[in-house]
Amino acid sequence: MNKILLLSTLTSALLFAVAPVVKPAQERTFSQSQFMPDMSAILDFSYVNHSISDAELQHLSIPGITEGFYGSHDHGGNSESTYNANNGFNLNYLEVVLSSNVDPYFSVDAIFHFSPEGVEVEEGYFTTTALGNGFRFRGGKLLSEFGRINQQHHHFWDFGNAPLVNEAFFGTHGINELGMQLQWVAPTKMYLMVGAEALQGTNEAMFGNAQIADPNSIDPEDPTLLAEEVTAPSLFVGYIKSSLDAGNTTFLPGLSLAQGTSNIDHLEDEEHAHAFAGDSSVYGADLTVKHFFDSYSFLSWQSEWIMRDMDGTGYHNDAGTTEAGDIEKEQAGYYTQLVYAYDQNWRFGVRYDSIYLNDITRNGITQSIIDPEAANPVSTTEDFDRYSVMSEYHPSEFSRIRLEYNHNTALYNEDGERQNLDTVMLQFNLSIGAHAAHDF
Amino acid sequence: MKLLFILFLLPLSLFAHLNIVVTYPYIGAITKAIGKDHVDTIVLAQGNWDPHFIVPRPSLISKLRSADALIMNGGQLEIGWLPPLIKRANNPKTIPNATTFLDLSRHITFIQKPKSLDRAQGDVHPDGNPHFHLNPKNILILAQTIATFLSTIDSEHQAIYATNLKTFEKNWQIYLTRWQNNMASKKGMKVIQFHDNLAYFNQAYALQNIGTIEPLPGIPPSSRHTMEIIELIKQQKPYCIFHDVYHSTKTAQYISDKTGIPIVLMPHDIGALESIDSLVALFDHLTKVQNK
Repeated sequence: MNKILLLSTLTSALLFAVAPVVKPAQERTFSQSQFMPDMSAILDFSYVNHSISDAELQHLSIPGITEGFYGSHDHGGNSESTYNANNGFNLNYLEVVLSSNVDPYFSVDAIFHFSPEGVEVEEGYFTTTALGNGFRFRGGKLLSEFGRINQQHHHFWDFGNAPLVNEAFFGTHGINELGMQLQWVAPTKMYLMVGAEALQGTNEAMFGNAQIADPNSIDPEDPTLLAEEVTAPSLFVGYIKSSLDAGNTTFLPGLSLAQGTSNIDHLEDEEHAHAFAGDSSVYGADLTVKHFFDSYSFLSWQSEWIMRDMDGTGYHNDAGTTEAGDIEKEQAGYYTQLVYAYDQNWRFGVRYDSIYLNDITRNGITQSIIDPEAANPVSTTEDFDRYSVMSEYHPSEFSRIRLEYNHNTALYNEDGERQNLDTVMLQFNLSIGAHAAHDF
Repeated sequence: MKLLFILFLLPLSLFAHLNIVVTYPYIGAITKAIGKDHVDTIVLAQGNWDPHFIVPRPSLISKLRSADALIMNGGQLEIGWLPPLIKRANNPKTIPNATTFLDLSRHITFIQKPKSLDRAQGDVHPDGNPHFHLNPKNILILAQTIATFLSTIDSEHQAIYATNLKTFEKNWQIYLTRWQNNMASKKGMKVIQFHDNLAYFNQAYALQNIGTIEPLPGIPPSSRHTMEIIELIKQQKPYCIFHDVYHSTKTAQYISDKTGIPIVLMPHDIGALESIDSLVALFDHLTKVQNK
């Protein structure tokens, strides 16, 4: 100890002799380091083994619901793949979060996803802090609070992939849009929150507002429009959430509605060139029930039901001619999951996913099969299911290792044959920097 | 519709006194002792749970939503659960830069402030050990702080708060002597803890903590560390294991069986045990349980 003291005195004496005293950063006149926003980084890395090769997986779809479920559904060379999509190793993201107050009136949060494919602004929004009367206004790129799981970040989910119905309807990133959000918390004893959002409406899976040009127009310079551009914002979301406590059990139910324009243009695709122009309504109901045994152990049951009604005109690019027809799709699905936290270290969970309603009407006629051109057309009464189990080990509050198994019976190849997909995932999720605190 | 809205808001305007939301039960008790009839105290955390891990139930958002002021422990004890609640409550009175927001930790001299910060050292609190209310002398500082706070946000009743503080201080001094007497025989003795949440209690009564059952703050016990603790106990002969009420006593029981030293269950807040219904009961228990 004395030796260290002596050494440090000597060194400092030397420093004094050589250079003027350097004051700590906060005492230097123009130092701004004290204003550094809260910063954290979350690494999500996984090893995945699918029973189907990556190349084959890209051609699988959920008939009538979504195409290219496992990524690589090309849009001008920009392929969006889902989390844990590839066999072998996946760096799902390195999420960088910056967050700070702007002034007494606003705060800003920015969430970036760095991945081998590039950087994405996952979210970037300002939030008011001084409105009062229970109001909060937010604007920027944000995750909609439609339903329960949509606004939660991937690393907060209990499973490594989104529920089947969410991913099939809204795509990999859910309803993640440019837009504005207004929320109000009621001055009641019971938690009651209502919110409304006006969003750009360009979710690639089911919402879009761009014009759709006929690829078979006589004059490609001045093409015939199959659908006019709809002025953005073209997606509107509303929801109401409430919560009750009964002893150590908390109930959190919610109802959501989304209404938007669905101009979806896949006419330039190599396979299955098609387009849809119309309007969509999405209805959601969710319920979370969580019982706490003590500070660390709980049993949580979370379920969400989503139904969509898409009404418009469908187009097919068939060997140089564009065929049009009225289409109405009524589709619905749900997931239900049960998670048990045994203690601070261990968690176990099961989840069941199902898309059970797939009613398709073409030109006023109810369809019994989805794609008449397929070799083995899939019936519209077919259910699409997935089963998942997981177990998690949390060495500390800041790290998590999860082993998950999925049995997915929802995917079909182009001939209309069911391709069962079994997946084993080992995921590592680690966070550094500012302490993350999550909502209920 | 409009009428409905007015009817809806009417009962709120009938409350003339302040709605003070506090994070932990002990803060509620001090605030009530100073504010008496002029304040309503609403406590967010349950006293029998780990203060680091309070479940951010949505019902707590509603409590913050209607708060006139928020008093928290601070020192990052609430870091894992309070910020998201504040962000959702949409109440300008409960945001940290508001004049109606009180961070008690700013008024206390911390002990065990880490010289360097690294999570490899566990879930450390950058400001030092935040469980300062377990030194009963600190309660006096907290009471004075809360009295000043209430007087600033409700200057009309300043005199009442000052009188209430005087009464509280007078009574507390008597209790302090009683607890000092209870603990006199334990001066200088060694203890083991699960987590060092009694650091300030030990400071008050000159007890010496020689080790914790968790290898690092926030890291659950490991068998290797447990063996080391057993060795340590055999060498240094602490007189007991102080244990909180919210962690499993399994490991402590094993250590106790191997070494023969008793486990003493030490409540950390009001409500931690059913019999602890006031601040006085808390310190009575903490100082008496030693002599059993």
